[in-house]
Amino acid sequence: MTNNKKIPHQNLWDTPWGYAESFLIAFGLLITGFLMEASLGSQTAVSLIFPYNLILLVVYIAVLIALYKWASHHPVVRWLSKVPASITSIVFVTFLVMIMGIIPQIASDNYIVNLLGLNHITTNWAFLLIIGLFLTCLGLVSVKRITQFSTDNVGFILNHIGLFLALTAGILGSGDIQRVSIELKENVANYMATDQATGRPVELSFAMLLKDFKLEEYAPKLALIDNESGEILHNQGKNLYEISEGEKYSFEGFEIEVLSYLPMSSPFGSRYLRVNEQGSSPAALLKVTTTATDNSIENWISCGSFAQQYRSLKISDKYSLVMTIPEAKKFSSELEVLTRDGERYSTIIEVNKAHNHDLWEIYQLDYNKRMGKWSTTSVIELVRDPWLPAIYTGIFMMIFGAFYMFWVGNKITKKD
Amino acid sequence: MTWINFPLYSGLVAVFFLIGLAVLGYSYKKPATFKIATILFAIGWGVLVLFVVQLWLELERPPMRTLGETRLWYALFLPVIGGLTYLRWRYKWFLAYSVLMALLFLGINYMNPETYSKTLMPALQSPWFVPHVLVYLLSYAVLAASSIVAIKGWYDHYKKQPIQSTLALADNLVYIGFAFLTLGLLFGALWAKEAWGHYWTWDPKEIWAFLTWMGYLIYIHYRHFHPQKNKQALTILALAFVVLLVCWFGVNYLPVAKTSVHTYTQY
Repeated sequence: MTNNKKIPHQNLWDTPWGYAESFLIAFGLLITGFLMEASLGSQTAVSLIFPYNLILLVVYIAVLIALYKWASHHPVVRWLSKVPASITSIVFVTFLVMIMGIIPQIASDNYIVNLLGLNHITTNWAFLLIIGLFLTCLGLVSVKRITQFSTDNVGFILNHIGLFLALTAGILGSGDIQRVSIELKENVANYMATDQATGRPVELSFAMLLKDFKLEEYAPKLALIDNESGEILHNQGKNLYEISEGEKYSFEGFEIEVLSYLPMSSPFGSRYLRVNEQGSSPAALLKVTTTATDNSIENWISCGSFAQQYRSLKISDKYSLVMTIPEAKKFSSELEVLTRDGERYSTIIEVNKAHNHDLWEIYQLDYNKRMGKWSTTSVIELVRDPWLPAIYTGIFMMIFGAFYMFWVGNKITKKD
Repeated sequence: MTWINFPLYSGLVAVFFLIGLAVLGYSYKKPATFKIATILFAIGWGVLVLFVVQLWLELERPPMRTLGETRLWYALFLPVIGGLTYLRWRYKWFLAYSVLMALLFLGINYMNPETYSKTLMPALQSPWFVPHVLVYLLSYAVLAASSIVAIKGWYDHYKKQPIQSTLALADNLVYIGFAFLTLGLLFGALWAKEAWGHYWTWDPKEIWAFLTWMGYLIYIHYRHFHPQKNKQALTILALAFVVLLVCWFGVNYLPVAKTSVHTYTQY
């Protein structure tokens, strides 16, 4: 595999370089990167910001074009634009990403992990060098195919240039991404956000005011727990039964019937009554029959709320029934956006439905979990990524490339 | 509440599929009976479609959230892939394999009954949910099929039989699977931007999805430029599928799992 097919007894480093040379070069880059990481640390790998990243990108592409145009016969350039270099660089990128997929990318107390920077691969020198090799191979073959354009090349160009564009714009543009969050309280305008990476305050060019926060919930579920450990016994905590009036369930020798279910209620003595006030909690009246003895009991359970105690039902020495806290179905914030020019308008944002204002994407992020549906606080995230159009162009080129591949993939293989 | 009679439906499907497989086996002796096998497969598949449609309607959400629900989709897609592959390349063994795999997935679901909870967290309530998951399921099913072809290739290789046509089938499946894999990855990126504010966050599931993509990328490039090196190609294909399996359910057992947002097995 290491020898070139056409010249069976080629010596190492004789041109053209094949897999052995490619592997050695990539391995050399990897070792260099790890040595730099161990000696310099990754703090030296600063992320570039505008306009330096744009300048670097333009220069890089110009160099690739120049290399193809005037130096395509140089052994190194020839090697970079051939298959052994491409496949080797894909393998090495895969290897480094695999490290990322195994070692958690969070603070570590392992000496080797810290020394080689294995817990922050994306900013690791080794990764930057290998990605540099990968992109250079990708860039050179892309330039080559564009200059030799034909309709057969469409799929190739869409896939390769799309990937090149998405990766270079994504990597070089990462320094320009701003992610801030802002906590809004009902009827209070706010324009001071917090940068999520640095924790520094950021003044926005517009203010936002929370008019209303809304939360819809699913019905709570019924769970069987162990009296001693408090753990959910039923199906390892999965697939619990949703509580709904009139339903019957069976659990390990018990028949359970939901006689009554109140989504908003409050305890009065030993029973629950329907109320409509802040902090009311869901409650259900259960009838529990022990199948073996046919004995039955009736009582209330409730998951409680920030204002009310929860209530469980002990059905034997071993087991109790509890109601789980309802899961959020949908939460949204009605916002009023106030600009410097005195313009104001309302909009509603929710998870998966962001709003765009002045190049910022505005997302629903969080709320006061303890207060649940009575929360009067909404946490909003704002993201600004000026490189997004370039990245999306790359992504959509690859999407069209994938359709092309699906359609004519077979023919591509048959050509050989 | 288990509202729907899964054992009844899966039992019916199993009866049609098993008789169909028996008839298919017999058709190697008497080719005329093959048509009966395909009719039986079609009826069994129709029953399965009916079940999925009912489940979707009853849950009021796409049944694609839990691992059990994704197995249901494999059971649905595999016979289709087997059928289409048969129409194109006439491999009976491959049709039999895909029907058997569908039965296996139904069997696993039968052994692990679910109560089919209706809850769907807000982050999953998006128009991207269905296309993102569907193209991934299709891609995994096709790529799984390609590895079965690879096993056939190994077998033929050791029996010293020609394997070029087997590898050509593997190539076709990989190209289709890879196209879907690319779409799944990119739809995921576009959705992530909508839901979480960034298109790529190096979430463990994303990392392994990317690795799977890279694995098949290596295979495609290697095959394209070294079409004669069969054994190496088969090895790459096998390794790529191992990565896919890690991505599909192995991620949950890795030390990185706790930092992932794709924990769909938890409910």
